[in-house]
Amino acid sequence: MDVELLAAPFNPLASLAAWQAGLRNGPAAIAAAEAHFIGRVRPVASDGAPLEALEIEHYPGMSERRIAAISQTLAHQHGVAAVLVRHRVGRIKPGEPIVVVAVAADRRGPALRCCQELLETLKHEAPFWKREWVNGCGQWVAGNTPL
Amino acid sequence: MTSGEVRVRLFAGLREEAGWQERSLVHQNGMTATAVWTLLNLGGTTPPATVRVAINHEFAALNTPLANGDEVAFLPPISGG
Repeated sequence: MDVELLAAPFNPLASLAAWQAGLRNGPAAIAAAEAHFIGRVRPVASDGAPLEALEIEHYPGMSERRIAAISQTLAHQHGVAAVLVRHRVGRIKPGEPIVVVAVAADRRGPALRCCQELLETLKHEAPFWKREWVNGCGQWVAGNTPL
Repeated sequence: MTSGEVRVRLFAGLREEAGWQERSLVHQNGMTATAVWTLLNLGGTTPPATVRVAINHEFAALNTPLANGDEVAFLPPISGG
C-alpha cells in the first residue's frame, strides 16, 4: 500500500509514474491491468456560486491509518497486487487535483472494482472534512457529491 | 497529557461551534464518550446521530469505556475524496 497525504499541490501523473516505476521492481510487476482515478476540485460550490477554494481538514494520524487499513482490506478482498492513494489536505484551488487512486491487478475487473470501491469508501470512512470558500466566506460541506 | 486524563478533540464544524479544539478531562472509571460529551456541554446529553466517535484513532461506539490516557474525538459528517 502506497498512501500519502499532501499539504501542497502535486502532479498526479508524476505520482502515477513514480508508483509504476516502483511496481516494475517488485512482486506486482506481473500485474497486467491498472485502474487510475484523478479527482479535481470543481470550479463551483454546492450552491452553484463560483468557488474560490476548497479547504480540506483532516484528523492527522487517524486519516492516514484509516486509508491504509481500507486499502489493505480492499486489496485483499479484490485480490489486487498494489494500491496507490494520494490525497490533498489544506486549501486547494479549483481545477487542482484533490485525490489520486490507482490499483494494479492481474485483470481489469478487480482493478476497476477495487479502484471504485476504495474511492467511495475513503470518501465516507476516512476523517476528512471539506469547506467551500466563496467570496471570503467558508461553509462546511455536509456529506459527499453523488456518484 | 498526564496519566489519569482523557484528551478530547473536536474537528471542523463541531470545533467551531464549541470554540475549542482540544481539552483534557480527569479520567473517571466507567467514563464513556457520551459522558464526555455531556460533561463538556457540547449540546444535549448525547451526540447527534450524525456525529461519530473515535478512540485512539479508531471508530468506536459511544458507550465504549475510556481508559487513562485515551484520546476521544467527535467527528462531524465526513466528506473526503
